[in-house]
Order: sequence, then C-alpha cells, then structure tokens
Amino acid sequence: MSATAAIEVRGLRREFRVRQGIFAAPKRVIAVDDVSFSVPPGSVLGVVGESGCGKSTLARLILGLLPPTAGEVLVDGQRLAQMDRRARARLIQPVFQDPFASLNPKRRVRDIVAMPLIAQGSIGRAEVERRVGEALERVGLSSDQGARFPAQLSGGQRQRVAIARALVLRPRIVVCDEPTSALDVSVQAQILNLLAELRRDLGLTYLFISHNLAVVEHIASEVAVMYLGRIVERAESERLFAAPRHPYTRALLASVLTPEPGLGVPDVGLGDVMPDPANIPPGCRFHPRCPVAVAQCSAESPRPATDAAGLVECHLARHAA
Amino acid sequence: MSALLEIRDLRVTIGSTAAVRGASLSLDKGETHCLVGESGCGKSITALSVMGLLPRGAVRETTALRFAGEEIGHYGERQMERLRGDRMAMIFQEPMTSLNPAYTVGSQMTEVLRRHRGTPRAQAVDRAAELLARVGITAPGLRLGQFPHQLSGGLRQRVMIAMALMCDPELLIADEPTTALDVTVQAQILRLLAGLQKDLGLGILLITHDLGIVARVADRVSVMYAGEVVESAPTATLFAAPQHPYTRGLLSCVPVPGKVKRDEPLGSIPGVVPRIRPGFTGCGFRDRCAEATPACAGTIPRRDLGSGHEMLCVLDPGRDGKAAA
Repeated sequence: MSATAAIEVRGLRREFRVRQGIFAAPKRVIAVDDVSFSVPPGSVLGVVGESGCGKSTLARLILGLLPPTAGEVLVDGQRLAQMDRRARARLIQPVFQDPFASLNPKRRVRDIVAMPLIAQGSIGRAEVERRVGEALERVGLSSDQGARFPAQLSGGQRQRVAIARALVLRPRIVVCDEPTSALDVSVQAQILNLLAELRRDLGLTYLFISHNLAVVEHIASEVAVMYLGRIVERAESERLFAAPRHPYTRALLASVLTPEPGLGVPDVGLGDVMPDPANIPPGCRFHPRCPVAVAQCSAESPRPATDAAGLVECHLARHAA
Repeated sequence: MSALLEIRDLRVTIGSTAAVRGASLSLDKGETHCLVGESGCGKSITALSVMGLLPRGAVRETTALRFAGEEIGHYGERQMERLRGDRMAMIFQEPMTSLNPAYTVGSQMTEVLRRHRGTPRAQAVDRAAELLARVGITAPGLRLGQFPHQLSGGLRQRVMIAMALMCDPELLIADEPTTALDVTVQAQILRLLAGLQKDLGLGILLITHDLGIVARVADRVSVMYAGEVVESAPTATLFAAPQHPYTRGLLSCVPVPGKVKRDEPLGSIPGVVPRIRPGFTGCGFRDRCAEATPACAGTIPRRDLGSGHEMLCVLDPGRDGKAAA
C-alpha cells in the first residue's frame, strides 16, 4: 500500500431527512453508515447490494455530488471537499445507468462530449475539437455519429457517448453506476468489453456499481457488498465468489440465475422481511432476514473484522475465519 | 389432446413497422414456454396479441390462434373481455400498470371475481385473502385494506400475481415479471410461480430477456429476433446445442460466473436490432450475422431438426460439429 490510493474513503456517513406524510415528523434515514475503504490505482472495486442499500449514494459522495454528513473522501490523495470543481472533473468522472436521462437531448453528440472541456475554460477551440474526435474514436463512434442528436442513437451508442464524455478530460477514475442495466444483453456485452479495454489501455480505476453479480464478477478485481448503508463484506473478487463469508453475500450469490438448465430456481432463504433504510433494526442490521442468526445477532452490532482474506462484519463469520 | 395455446403464423403491423412477422408457438397445459429476445424483437407484442390488448392501430393476422382448442382469432372485444382475467390472465413488469392506485388491494382483487363470476362480496374477500397467503404474503387481512403505494415492489408483484389467479386461469402470460426486482426477490417470485404452476396446472408463457431465468424455469424456449421466432427447442437442447447464429451470439454475451475469465472479452453481437418495415424479405439478422451468405436475402426455410427443435435459417444444423439435439 505504498502507492497513493485512487479512492480513499474514511468513516463516510450520509443521512437524509425524509418526511413520510405531510404531518409526520421527518425521519432520519442513514443511507451510508461509517464506510471506509481504499481502491488502489488501476483496479476495479465492484459494489453490489439490493436497491436501497446506499450504493448510489456512495457513488454520489465519491463524485462530490453530495456532501457527506461525516467522514471524508480522498481522490488520488487529495481531499475531495477542498478540491476545486474543475480539478475534480479532471480527476474523476461518472457514467450513469440511463444514457437517455444523462444526455441533453437538444445538443449534438460532439457538443455533449465537448462540454467538460469547455467548462474547464482554458482549452482552445482547436484542442477541444481534437480531443472530442479522439474520445469519440476511443469509444467506437464515428464523426458522423458525433453530428447526431442522442435520440437518433441506440441505447448502446448513447452509453458510448456518456463514456466518451467521461473520458474527454482524461480522468484517472471513473465511477460507473449501473452502466449496463438499461441495455440489452448483446449491447451490455459490447459496453462491458469497451470498459475493460479502456481500463487496460488508459490505466483507469473504476468504482463499478451494479446489482448484477455476474457482471461484477466479470469486471471487478475486488468486491464490496453493501447492506443497509454498511459494507458487510469486502474481498478480492475470486475469493468472494468462491468462498463468501457473510450470510448476506451467500444469499446474493445463491440468487444469481446462471444460464444452466436443470438447476431450477434456488431457495435463497431470506424470508419475507424487506430491508427498510428508515427502520434499521437493532443489533446486526441483517438479522431479521438472516437464515443463521443467533440470539447475539439481534442484541449486539457486529464489528468489522479485517484479515488477509478481506473484511467481514458478522458475529458468526469472525470465528470461522 | 390439443395444446392450451397455439399461435400459428402471427403477423402484427403497427404503422410502418412489421412488429411480428409470422411467429408460431404452442404451449401445453402445465408447461412453461419462454419467449426470449431483446427489446423490440416482438415478444411483448406477441403476448398482447393473444390477450387481444394490442395498441390502437395495430393490425393482427394469423392462420390460427387457438386457446384450449377454440379458435379465438376472430373474437371481438366483448368475447375477449370475458376470457381475460378469467381463463387467461397477464402480469407485467411494472405492477402499477395493472394495479389502480386509487383502490385498495382488496377491492381490486375482489372486483375480478365479482365481475366474472358474480361471486358475493364476502366470499370474494375470502378468496382474495386465501390467494394472498398462497403467494407468500403474511397478514393478508391487513394487506387487503392497503393501497398499492403502501406496498414494496416485491409485495406489489405478489399482489398482481394473486389477482391474476383469482378466477383460476388456465393460461398465465407473464411479461418480464421480475425485471424490476432485486435478485433475491426475483428468485422468490420465480419459485412462487413454479410452485403455483405445479399445484394449479397453469400454462405459463413467460417473456424475458434474461437467459438465466429461461434456463432455470422454462420447459421450452422460443428465441425471437426482429419479429420472428428464429429458433425453438426444449430448454436443455437449446442451451446445449444452439443452432441459430443469433441464439449462439446471445448465449455468448452472458457473463457466466466461473466460465468466462475476468478481463477476457465477452462474446458480443455487432450492430443494433434493425427496424423491419412491411414487405421486408429474407433473414432479419443477416446484417449482424458473421455466417451470412447470399442465400440469406431469399426465403428462409423453417427447418425441423427433430425432437421439437426448429430453426429459421439457411445454415446447416450441426455445421461446426455441434449437432442438434
């Protein structure tokens, strides 16, 4: 760990106040709860979890789109909070799920891709044009496609535009929040291949958020599993998929339906209780759904335990490791 | 004796798009038939054709559309209304498309039964509570009095399934029923559907883009591309020996944990799904197909490969040693 981490997150916490009715008192929802990790340069940290686990909030905190309630984010060794917006944009860029929502429909593709360069305010027109052309080519779009509007492109092509826009400032880190979830399978494969190729060629670091575990296993070098705002397990990708230690990780892996006929649909064993970030249960927050919970789990919060195999936050897993 | 549902040579044209171009499939009682394909391939339109729920302006033609041995292709709106919700039911990806936000779960569920069967209210309420319990909802009495927005996504999906079952349908059409759900909930819902099918002998036509779901729940699979069923086979055969280049491409695109190494490129299909206009001839996949030949622009034969395996392609089955069946 001598090299500076590409992303370092220390004690990160984010709360929201949510009103559930006009007259109800606002409720405190802890979307991200005391999360710490670091991502070495050139690697891919996959973040998985169900909807509402806080993975998108985590992405927004790391991008500086949301201020944390507590804790801090360091990007390439610098405190995000103290960074100027332009400097931040040169270092870290997002790719979001729905390319239709994240691209201005009234602008041509090349103008969309040029925007981050123009916002820097110091790059000449010829240079902007050259770098836009370069970025479009990098993601496999023709200059002819650069002259079109987003609505004239397919979903996969639009996601390529979003990737070109993210790369045009030559950032070191890209935060991908469900980048292929809105795409068809054949197109998803094209985009995943492109992201993997770009990482190799440009030495990028990814924070890769997805609910699709097969996709994460394919692209991530390390995986963090989030449950109700906390990282309950973190390990190298191969290790996590081969020997998951947290019961929640095991349930998530069991629920992946691989295209293998004859295996049927597995019994995940999680029961009917749904996680609610506004009502986090006492003790281990996973205990109401946990198939192996013991009395201790409902009384006492487990502490994260780190060893050579990674991190796990479970009363039972700690003894096993 | 005869299939529960039989569609022969279905054609649907919507404006200047040929959405379905001669699709045929059949479904037996107690069987799950998966219709798989990417967006715009015509799978949802095929389902809506069966239910008589096509959008205004769509033109439907078929050689045969039989439900439980009865030709329903010529049925008018009133006759279809009598079938829908009673003997055939449909569930959707987004439960709020079939749930009315202004009525309680109970009043919506009982309406189905009261309308089709004239069942007295109290009895209909009992039936609704029984079905909510059957789909794994705890405290059904409480849920009956709630509005859809008070339920989680997984619960709404269960309510929609329970509502579809109110009249004991013979056919259930499920259009991407778990796409909007978390994987853990998806597994629960699919197990539920499989259990219901076993108990009630339902025929299920399941529409999905997810080959993982297909592999795990289908008895039979039909792959659709550009409005045509390009390959159809029993599930094990389709996954073990896919023959159509599109099916093979689709299967190679899916990352399988432990099969494809990290950082090794996934298979992919170049290009995008074309929009097919009426009057189009030849194979709709030929522009994206690596094995295309001049013959692909002509009439494409439907080939019977034996053991219920069919494909729509000019290429030789088993051309690369991967024999059919």
